[in-house]
Amino acid sequence: MIRKSPMKQENRQMISGADFEQYFQPQSLEKALEIKAEYEDQIEVAAGTTDLLVANYEKLHQIKNWLDLDKLSELRQIEVKDNNLYIGAMATHLQLMKSDLIKEKFPVLAAAAEDVGSPQIRSRGTIGGNICTSSPAGDLLAPLLSYQASFKLQSAEAERIVEAEEFFTGPKRNLMEADELLTEIIIPLTENKREGAWVKVGRRKALVISTLTLSVVLEFEAEQIVKAGVAMGSVAPTPIRLGEVEEMMLGNTLAELDYKKLGQEVKARINPIDDLRGTKEYREDVAADVMVRALNEIERKRG
Amino acid sequence: MQITFTVNGEERELEVTPYTRLLDLLREDLGLTGVKEGCGKGECGACTVIMNGELTASCLVPAPQADQAEILTVEGLGTRDDLHPIQESFVEAGAVQCGYCIPGMILAGKRLLDENPEPTEKEVRYGLSGNICRCTGYAKIIDAVMLAADKLAVEGSDSSD
Repeated sequence: MIRKSPMKQENRQMISGADFEQYFQPQSLEKALEIKAEYEDQIEVAAGTTDLLVANYEKLHQIKNWLDLDKLSELRQIEVKDNNLYIGAMATHLQLMKSDLIKEKFPVLAAAAEDVGSPQIRSRGTIGGNICTSSPAGDLLAPLLSYQASFKLQSAEAERIVEAEEFFTGPKRNLMEADELLTEIIIPLTENKREGAWVKVGRRKALVISTLTLSVVLEFEAEQIVKAGVAMGSVAPTPIRLGEVEEMMLGNTLAELDYKKLGQEVKARINPIDDLRGTKEYREDVAADVMVRALNEIERKRG
Repeated sequence: MQITFTVNGEERELEVTPYTRLLDLLREDLGLTGVKEGCGKGECGACTVIMNGELTASCLVPAPQADQAEILTVEGLGTRDDLHPIQESFVEAGAVQCGYCIPGMILAGKRLLDENPEPTEKEVRYGLSGNICRCTGYAKIIDAVMLAADKLAVEGSDSSD
């Protein structure tokens, strides 16, 4: 039973929202795209609002136009079609970490979702928001790069598919056009046995912006590595994929790899900055260490 | 714009602006001051409510997104004379110091126990990981949630709300 709460006043509102017209909460994607086409970059897109309300703390009233995607339940689906996994851009971190499909097929992504913020943030924050905010520290971004995801960008006129690797162009910048919305994340499935590892380094476990993240996904035919995805966050202006390090692993078995040397190769290819979460030097040393840790973890899981 | 939502079992219809946060709506408009504002940026958990069954930082929800939602605040859990077993446990374990974080802690504890009635200490820590206590009274808060799990197990399913 839920008890009636002792609400003291019937209604003590002093402001009225009756005349506020610039808040759009469309019921269909088509309508949302029309609104985006009309307002372009003059409208704030609201998904889970866990970034938007922080960025606009104490100045929310300055946002003139809102495009709220909350009612677009069509963008919350997670499903498999034609050998691809499709994740709607409005799927929350909580959905990702609880989805049996993602836990089974893309465990590194599920693990990263479980490390985002806190329960209060994961229940609201969305995968699309994480991508569109395009922070180099976005926790889902390295796993999406290592699983070779691509993003569907839609406008009222057209749609295009962009590879995750090409999407991010700088800190909080990406190649989306002003009339586009991110609607879907597409990740290819494989018949091969895949194993991966996720490492997030931060000052505490919860509610922390990553000092560094690493996602390693290896695809095996028998014992041989036939495909590799190695990606990191918070070590460069964008989340990055380390293609050269991946190349070094291809064609080998795990036993043939020199983990320590690969750690050094990772260290040589990142370009971190000093900030309050860690120094450049610290990040470089830790990057080498976590690469070794990730490979050990994959070895253990294949055990 | 107008929204309709259910707060502690009671349906409410309110005029809101987009720059009203759910936190403000609950505290200022409805007088539910058990919902606290700490950091205002989703990092402390003092403003935690249970929205549509999930822990939510009410400082990060624009009021229009609360339309059609079902919200539970600490006021909906128990009264001073008739405490919810989780509230009782916080009293008995001595888990309350200044009290500011406690409504959020209690709701995080309830959400955890709803899903996992017999949590380990580690699971309790994870369930409360979005809530900060600056008195640093974590040990007793964790004890309180463990105690509440025992109480609820004894009382059975009829009192889980």
